[in-house]
Amino acid sequence: MRRRDLLAAGGALVGGSLMAGCLERLGFQTQSAWRDPPLVEDRPDGVYYPALVEGMGLYGTSTDRDLGFALFYSFPHRFWNLTGSRRTKVVVRPEDSLHLMASVWDTATETVLPVDLSAEITDEAGETKTTNLWPMLSPNMGFHYGDNVALPGAGDYEITLEVGPLQTDRTEPFSGQFRDRRSATMTVHFDPSETYALDIERLGEQAGKRGTVELMELEQVPAPTVPPASELPGRLLHEGGSGDAKLLVGLVDGESRFREGSGPYLYVSPRTPYNRVMLPRMSLAATIERDGGPNTTTDLRATIDPELGVFYGVPLEAIVNGDTVSIEVQTPPQVSRHDGYETAFLEMPPIEFTVG
Amino acid sequence: MGSGPEIPRREFLKSAVAIGGTAAFSACLGREEISVPAGSTEWSSYPDRQHAWTDVLPRDDYGNTIPPRHRVLLFLNLDSASVPDPSDRETFESALRGVEAAYERSATGLLLTVSYSRSYFDRFDADGPTGLELPPPEPLAPFEDPQLDTPDAVIHLASNTAQVVLGAEEALKGEVGTLNGIEQPEAAITDLFDIERRRVGFVGEGLPAENARESDTLPEDAIAEDAPMLMGFSSDFESTQPTEDRVTIQSGPFAGGTTQHISKLLLDLDQWYTQDDRWQREAKMFCPHHAEADLIEGAGDSLGATSKVEECGGTAETAREKGVVGHSQKAAQARDEDDSPLILRRDFNSTAEGVPTLHFLSLQRRIEDFVETREAMNGTDLAADSPVGQRTNNGILQYIRTERRGNYLLPPRSLRALPPANPTAATMEATDASA
Repeated sequence: MRRRDLLAAGGALVGGSLMAGCLERLGFQTQSAWRDPPLVEDRPDGVYYPALVEGMGLYGTSTDRDLGFALFYSFPHRFWNLTGSRRTKVVVRPEDSLHLMASVWDTATETVLPVDLSAEITDEAGETKTTNLWPMLSPNMGFHYGDNVALPGAGDYEITLEVGPLQTDRTEPFSGQFRDRRSATMTVHFDPSETYALDIERLGEQAGKRGTVELMELEQVPAPTVPPASELPGRLLHEGGSGDAKLLVGLVDGESRFREGSGPYLYVSPRTPYNRVMLPRMSLAATIERDGGPNTTTDLRATIDPELGVFYGVPLEAIVNGDTVSIEVQTPPQVSRHDGYETAFLEMPPIEFTVG
Repeated sequence: MGSGPEIPRREFLKSAVAIGGTAAFSACLGREEISVPAGSTEWSSYPDRQHAWTDVLPRDDYGNTIPPRHRVLLFLNLDSASVPDPSDRETFESALRGVEAAYERSATGLLLTVSYSRSYFDRFDADGPTGLELPPPEPLAPFEDPQLDTPDAVIHLASNTAQVVLGAEEALKGEVGTLNGIEQPEAAITDLFDIERRRVGFVGEGLPAENARESDTLPEDAIAEDAPMLMGFSSDFESTQPTEDRVTIQSGPFAGGTTQHISKLLLDLDQWYTQDDRWQREAKMFCPHHAEADLIEGAGDSLGATSKVEECGGTAETAREKGVVGHSQKAAQARDEDDSPLILRRDFNSTAEGVPTLHFLSLQRRIEDFVETREAMNGTDLAADSPVGQRTNNGILQYIRTERRGNYLLPPRSLRALPPANPTAATMEATDASA
């Protein structure tokens, strides 16, 4: 791998003192090697194998009462921001030192939480900078938070991850939880010769084909996935697809933790097509059409449940066999994407099925 | 400080304000070829509202006021914990009148206000100033944890002329005997106060781009030459600013005054300029409609005297259907029954401490008006039921971190020098007599 060789060479020349930005002074053009490497040709409108998958390292994990925090790193790399349906390419800046990533979860249930997260980075001189990490999808990490970060040089850094209260609806036993700020501080060592000694896997002929790599598995950090169809609560009404996402639609009836009183509760559990990665920050609406009755359209509410993870649901008066249900995706998942996800989950047409 | 001819004049002047001191002031005098008339000593000719600036500010082609370009905030603590006496008031008023006599009250000359925090008034009365609520500052978003400023007083100096804010500051400190040809009084603010901190900055066309060129923490060439603020857009639309009447206290002993909130917000301009594109910046600053309809040219001047925020649509609907909601769109929800905004912005930017900063200074009749506006900006309700995050795609919250907050009472001019918490006719007469 050229990029790694190049970095290793840089490391060998100056050892641990190599600083971000020094590569250029040494005659290496970080711009050309890192900034915006070529994309695979003919990307499908869906999840695909990128040209390469970069390894990542775990800086550490920590907890603050009910929340777990993990902090990871990788090479600085290109990603894509999404605002509504507007996608922008974020290229690596010459000063970027690493791609900082984090994950947050409820420790009791190992439910990964979709909450905004900030990182405060303090160097040895006491200088502090704070950045709000982007919610993101990547092939080997799935859903996480991340950004390319510039550090002044090799050394120890104190990084504090912080989340505010969670506004999203949640079911029991979460209703009283996630109401306060939580934070965790970890001390990390940044040394380019170590940090950049990560694996890079070139995917060769697979690159550009539909599919993706396995999620990395870590004992200390729960996977950002939602359950398979067979483990969903209630009755599975439909397995649909839209924009390469899978949309599983289920119905829980009677008394349940999903609604007040007793009655049917309709939910949609969206996920990525291969690894069942959660898809937060969507908006969905359901229209139910019954013979002889008026159509009713209702917004589904994003909700977090210890079993279902992130899903979108609504209590209904009634739903009967023969009803036609259509699920409209008003906004695709507002998460940034690494290569391999940037063409998926953008145009998301409605799905429709008949209850039967 | 460098004063060689290689430094462009305007950049030099801006740096001079950041550095301050008599050396910077005297260096400025030679650089700024401008003559500022002396001020009036007909003290009764000054408006009773300290914050009555609008009438003397220039306006652009669309009728929007142009805020003074150079700013200094002095955060002051009284040396003594006891209640000020008439001679303290006389000293302070005399120092203030010294600089007013030196520079005319205008945008080219000097505009100044003096304000007081709750901790100042607590020395008189545990209930705070009479006739209004002056709550101590507090965090105003579920995700912020600011330091709370509690200096006794804050002096705000503003001018389009760099040497004026510098000269006024030096004269107030008793550092110069003659200012703009006018002899200065013996009295100095340093006779009464310690200067706890100083915040300086700028606002106005050209200054953000100039700053960006000098600073190594700002993305190069990202900020448009004509941008009046670091985030690239104007914030001073006639339609988004209330009148001074709307923010003025109407009754009680402090009638004619106003309340002031000052926060220090750090800006992540790297993300703003290098990770978002122009469309996203427009959608997040104004609203998605404005970005889609391509309403905004440059800093937003094409919008004229209005941010056209009424075309943005409802925030809840926009958040669900567009996945992003605009800052102006959210802020516009905080309006009164006459559709007037509640807070009068007199904010400015700074890079003096190496980090791009917004010193958000606003005037409002009640601090509660600021709190309400800020709550609208938080969009917390939107994060509960839309793809908009607590900060991500939620206006400009992604790029802002609140470092400090403070609340102040900005009394009418007649009470600007160390007012008691419950001014009565007797104390006011005593103040007038002593001054």
